[in-house]
Amino acid sequence: MKNFSVLSYAILVLLVLYTFVPVLAQQPQPIINASLIGTVIDGTTKEPIEGVTIQLEAVTHRVKTDRHGKFQFVTGQKLPFTLILTFVGYQKKRVVVNTSPAVIELSPTSEDLEEVVVVGYGTQKRRDLTGAVASLPENLLKQPVSSLDQTLKGGISGVQVTQTSGQPGGGVSIRIRGGASVQGGNEPLYVIDGFPVYNQAESTGVGSGTPMNPLASINPADIEGIEVLKDAAATAIYGSRGANGVILVTTKKGKAGHLQLNYDGSIGAQSVLKKIDVLNAHDFAVLRNEVLYDANPGLGQNQYRKQTELDQLGEGTNWQKEAFRTGKLQNHQLSLSGGAEKVQYFLGANYFDQEGVIINTDFRRLGFRSNINANPFDRLQVGANLSINKTNAQIAPSGIVNALLIMPPTATIYEPNGDYTLRNPFENIFANPIATLKETKNTSNALRVLGTSFAQYRILKGLQAKVLLGIDLNNRNDKFYLPSYIYEGAGSKGEASLGNLNGTSWLNENTLTYTGVTGQHNFNALLGFTQQENKNEVFSAGAQHFVTDDLLFNNLQSGSILTRPTSDTYNWVLHSYLARVNYNYANKYYISASVRRDGSSRFGADNKWGNFPSLAFSWRIINEPFFKQVFSGVDDFKIRTSFGTTGNQEIGQYQSLSTLYSLNYLFGNNVITGFASQRVPNKNLGWETTFQYDVGFDLSLFRNRLQFTVDYYYKKTKDLLLNVEIPWTSGYATSLQNFGSVSNKGLEFGLKSKNLQGNFSWNTDLNVSFNRNKVLTIGEGVTSYITGNYIIKVGEPLGTFYGTVTDGILQLGEENSKGALTGNANSKAGDRLYKDINGDGQFTTANDRTMIGNAQPDFIFGISNTLSYKGFDLSFLIQGTVGNDLLNINRQNLEMFTGQQNASIDALNRWTTNNPSQLYPRAKLDPAPVFSNQFVESGSFARLKSLQLGYSFPKEWLKNAHITNLNLYLAAQNLLTWTSYRGFDPEVTSGSNVQIGTDAGVYPAAKSVSVGISLTF
Amino acid sequence: MKKIYYSIPLLSVLLTGISCSKLTEKPESALVSEQFYLNQGQAVAAVTGTYRKLYETGQSLYNSLFQIGVEMATDDYEAGPRARNAHVRAISNLTHDASNDRMEQLWKQSYDAINASNLNIVNIEAMNQNQIDVMVQQRLVNEAKFLRALHYFNLVRWFGPVPLVLRPTEGLSAQELYVAKASEDEVYSQIIKDLKAASSLPNYKNYGDADKGRATSGAAKSLLAKVYLTRSDWTNAKLLAKDVIDKEGYALFSDFSDVFDIDKKNGIEHIFSAQFKGNSGYQGNSLASRSAPADIPGINGDYADALHAEGGLYKSFAATDKRLSVTFTTGMTSPTDGKYYALVKPQFNKYYDQTVVGNQAQSSKNTPIIRYAEVLLILAEAENELNGPTQEARDAINAVRIRAGVEKLSDTENKDSFRELVLEERRKEFVYEYQRWFDLVRRGANYYITKLKTAGKTNAAARHLHFPTPQRELNLNPKLVQHSDWLVK
Repeated sequence: MKNFSVLSYAILVLLVLYTFVPVLAQQPQPIINASLIGTVIDGTTKEPIEGVTIQLEAVTHRVKTDRHGKFQFVTGQKLPFTLILTFVGYQKKRVVVNTSPAVIELSPTSEDLEEVVVVGYGTQKRRDLTGAVASLPENLLKQPVSSLDQTLKGGISGVQVTQTSGQPGGGVSIRIRGGASVQGGNEPLYVIDGFPVYNQAESTGVGSGTPMNPLASINPADIEGIEVLKDAAATAIYGSRGANGVILVTTKKGKAGHLQLNYDGSIGAQSVLKKIDVLNAHDFAVLRNEVLYDANPGLGQNQYRKQTELDQLGEGTNWQKEAFRTGKLQNHQLSLSGGAEKVQYFLGANYFDQEGVIINTDFRRLGFRSNINANPFDRLQVGANLSINKTNAQIAPSGIVNALLIMPPTATIYEPNGDYTLRNPFENIFANPIATLKETKNTSNALRVLGTSFAQYRILKGLQAKVLLGIDLNNRNDKFYLPSYIYEGAGSKGEASLGNLNGTSWLNENTLTYTGVTGQHNFNALLGFTQQENKNEVFSAGAQHFVTDDLLFNNLQSGSILTRPTSDTYNWVLHSYLARVNYNYANKYYISASVRRDGSSRFGADNKWGNFPSLAFSWRIINEPFFKQVFSGVDDFKIRTSFGTTGNQEIGQYQSLSTLYSLNYLFGNNVITGFASQRVPNKNLGWETTFQYDVGFDLSLFRNRLQFTVDYYYKKTKDLLLNVEIPWTSGYATSLQNFGSVSNKGLEFGLKSKNLQGNFSWNTDLNVSFNRNKVLTIGEGVTSYITGNYIIKVGEPLGTFYGTVTDGILQLGEENSKGALTGNANSKAGDRLYKDINGDGQFTTANDRTMIGNAQPDFIFGISNTLSYKGFDLSFLIQGTVGNDLLNINRQNLEMFTGQQNASIDALNRWTTNNPSQLYPRAKLDPAPVFSNQFVESGSFARLKSLQLGYSFPKEWLKNAHITNLNLYLAAQNLLTWTSYRGFDPEVTSGSNVQIGTDAGVYPAAKSVSVGISLTF
Repeated sequence: MKKIYYSIPLLSVLLTGISCSKLTEKPESALVSEQFYLNQGQAVAAVTGTYRKLYETGQSLYNSLFQIGVEMATDDYEAGPRARNAHVRAISNLTHDASNDRMEQLWKQSYDAINASNLNIVNIEAMNQNQIDVMVQQRLVNEAKFLRALHYFNLVRWFGPVPLVLRPTEGLSAQELYVAKASEDEVYSQIIKDLKAASSLPNYKNYGDADKGRATSGAAKSLLAKVYLTRSDWTNAKLLAKDVIDKEGYALFSDFSDVFDIDKKNGIEHIFSAQFKGNSGYQGNSLASRSAPADIPGINGDYADALHAEGGLYKSFAATDKRLSVTFTTGMTSPTDGKYYALVKPQFNKYYDQTVVGNQAQSSKNTPIIRYAEVLLILAEAENELNGPTQEARDAINAVRIRAGVEKLSDTENKDSFRELVLEERRKEFVYEYQRWFDLVRRGANYYITKLKTAGKTNAAARHLHFPTPQRELNLNPKLVQHSDWLVK
């Protein structure tokens, strides 16, 4: 068994398999010098395979094939030789060779079940999994996106990915099997090469608009694979951070063999999906005339513009057209990988540059990666993964999209004298959005160093000790400047601020794994202790009142008014013990149990520690002899079930303590510092606990050409971390308590189909997920509470819209009979009517509300197809959501026909005496904004999320140029969308779990097309 | 196999967990309550924090919330063109209900300040002589009592009976969280008790310059006089007003405009004010921008607080009244184009700060909470109620009128006309100083309703003498009941 270390260089779990290979009887051979040359080729494509290990049985002698698949032996043995050929992705082959040269074919591992998947603190074969673990289809990793979380869209059942902002480098929100936490975090835990990262943008308090997605500082092109852990069997090992699911990210590693140099570069363009139709200058001026006449009839019908002027107004300023552009995209990736038996490396460099679809917004990343693995000697394996990424972004200031929509078309970007028009000239004050976009400096720059290193030592056969150390350094620098010549900076005569955030997180994991086989008993055990500490330090400074705008934020001392500097620091610590046992009998009956004990600094003194156990069973029926006899066409069939608990600790720091905050007052006209109490202490504050039950099966048919995975789950999250409202008479508004529960249950279907094989191949991946969310309890005696436009109500899902219901328009003559249903003190024909829900005969916004929709989809789906013929390959992904509602706040703003701001094109159909509309109310200077079902729209959509077409040149053509592979490709994102939603994009959310499905001035999503080349030497 | 034995100690070290990190939370950038009230400096800082609760951030009590949540419901004020919020407009039109968020804020912020005072009183009283000087200790406790009395005085006038919380909230038990309402008499007797205690605070002259702005004996007595006046306890109102006039050393500025001169803050007439300072890393008086014109280039005002012209306030001023030009503006010269712009109707000008043109959010003008002119008018009113329009009563009101440049009251007034004249004097003297609503409602329902209906606010009704108890509080606190006037029939 000396060969053990040779074969185990890549993946730990292969060890287990290897021990099953029967050791054949050995016959002594006479020792004479002989040589054997040969070629190893792929059995289906007949292409040579590089890097195959060929081992002469019974002796240590082994070689590897070169780039042409060739190998040569010089040995003291004579023919015939018994060779053992091994290579990742191919079936192991034992062959007796009688002649030289020999051509040996290897067959690719036909079963994806042989595939090794990464799980928490280890790897497992897919066929041995007891939990719900899904791998992201490889083709989706190749999408030209700025951050890895975006590649998950539509790829995996039970995972809903929604963009929170189209800002380049902006964020997405991910819900795995539905969101449960109301006030805590709902994002999954990311584990990048073993380092757990919660993806939350920390604020420096400087700047405006969507914060950068921290995951954008990890280069997606470095990623080898992504696994999503969904059920408790898979996530409980992550304990107090597992409740929202876990996403395991593995970066590319070098492989022993020939050095590979790869360049992959693409350029492209992106543009906004659509524009919202608003009034032109002429129509707006007519509207404003009407409004002013209504408010003040004595001054006549043309208070804003005379009839003659109206005709000359034409289109006016199209603010959206001025702000939206075609943004350029480019991405360059250079990587070098290779290695020998004892050392393998992957080195990468990346430059990514994306211009936003709104002017003066962009995102750039420059990154380096170095992943090195080594086996300095037989029992020891060491490795280090390090990435350094620098990102720079210019961010669209908040409120800009809304301002672009409602800025009147009669206003101009510039005054006649060349200065910027400062603001909307009418009663509703907001700044000229083009001036804001062009002149505000709002940059966010980050430098992130993320690295893990480990040493793994084989103490004795099957027993391995591993120590892992990791560090995640996050340095963010936000810079902001408002010049004096735009509205926002006019009052302060120029305003500059700088903010800096220094985040340091370190990790230490110590684990012990044992793998053993006794007869039909296979087992694997894990024991570990881990600790992670995070510290963030923030400070900001600023100044106002500058003599010149030229120095921006680079010379704060030249501002004559300094703004108060701030600093803050906060830490958290997590200590964990973990244990897991996997056992199976005869590869038929599987049981696994895991437990993690977590201690978190975030919780109350009396509630620091929590235990998170799980238990799972599976039955691989296919290995029962009776089953094979009856169902011969079935290649694999496995039934799984699991249950367990996980936690959620995402509540921020110091929430259990009665911390004081500083607040100042003036004595003697000087600022004096004071302190006041921030909250009532809660020593019992603890985890949110999620209990999850999962049952599912995996089925493979027709020689594995069709693979089904079906899962049903029920998740109940209790002890929700809720800011429970307490009477204000206590001096406080809320208190963070463990209160209430929410359930999610659902069905997930996954289908992988190899529709066609051979020269023309066609594979389809389909996933459909149904999730039902329900609020079970929200505290004693409380059945509902209203928060903004939403209600949280027992028996209803989170994300339930709560508002008024429209009921047509008040017509002439109805003023007395129905006037009370307009909610206006002096109602007038043309006012909107609302349903009198409480039946008191009149309409009031506060008392006549009801549930008017829900942001939770009935189901979500993704269909990904990969087709290839000769050198061509085409893949595309269609994904969507069905049955969810969206709250279109943009439209609510645009349907206020006030004449103080621009209005939707629907204003042309507004109620007038000549046009007794039942749909759109009259123009009115001063309507109160009322949230009604009018603005809740269906958010269902299907879209061609990604399309990639590539061509690989035939290898023979490239040989002379020493090129291994040359591929040209075209990649498109969001090319087509089918939806009835009237906003910019149906794929939108506010990100907060309470306010899911709100579309309020979100930076619109883009469609993009890129062309690229991939070249490997 | 020997290697195995070597490995055992290593493994045990790894797995038992040598932790280099601690689970106990110790915030480095924030203090926790247990660390506080340990020395005099901390006690002073804790009371400073409570002063700040006079207005904290955004629309807060003495920084515009009184205007938005209270004064809008009178005959003199209305929601201006830029006050777009439905809740604000509801108050202005008297269509507000128990879910009005501005009234909720009145309740919420007042109790927040009261809890801060309670924390001060309980914790500072518990300090020992090694921790704090006894004189300072007594002073700080009395400052906190003054502030608590001020907030309860506001609450009881707005909401009628309210929960009387006198201990800080230190836990989440039902007993601590759910407090029933106390009667108005109970609340008033606590206010009087606190103010009597606070009357032993130092006279303003005994504070150093660095302490200007703190509560004083004069402030406590003046407020007490006002409490008695509100309770129609004319004898005590007069007694306290006389006490302030005779013993505390205040006087009127000779020029009305000095009251709002940023160089004369905390001057001889200012008894107690909300302190503001713009462009200092601190906060300006937001009434300045809320009343400043919005449509004059370069002024950048918000024009959210407007004069309710139908109420006739502006017209009631004599042309010679020196208060007119301090109180209102009728037009301004644009700092950008140099042109003069006349306003459609007069706008408030008291807090407009000439040193920050174009950026009135940074106005450094203080908002008076009680000033000497009011003490004189309290005396005039109380004396008239007791003895009719005597010389003493006339002298007191005439001092205010003479300073304003309007003619003295003659001795021909009777008790009723004099009462009305004092009210009218208060109305003109204290425009935009958060006084009108209190003055109207303390005269009773008929007075209030008549005044408002005359001014065209026809929704005014008897229930508007109080604000409804916030619905949120009724929902959360099972012991709380709605004000009887606001119960849905």
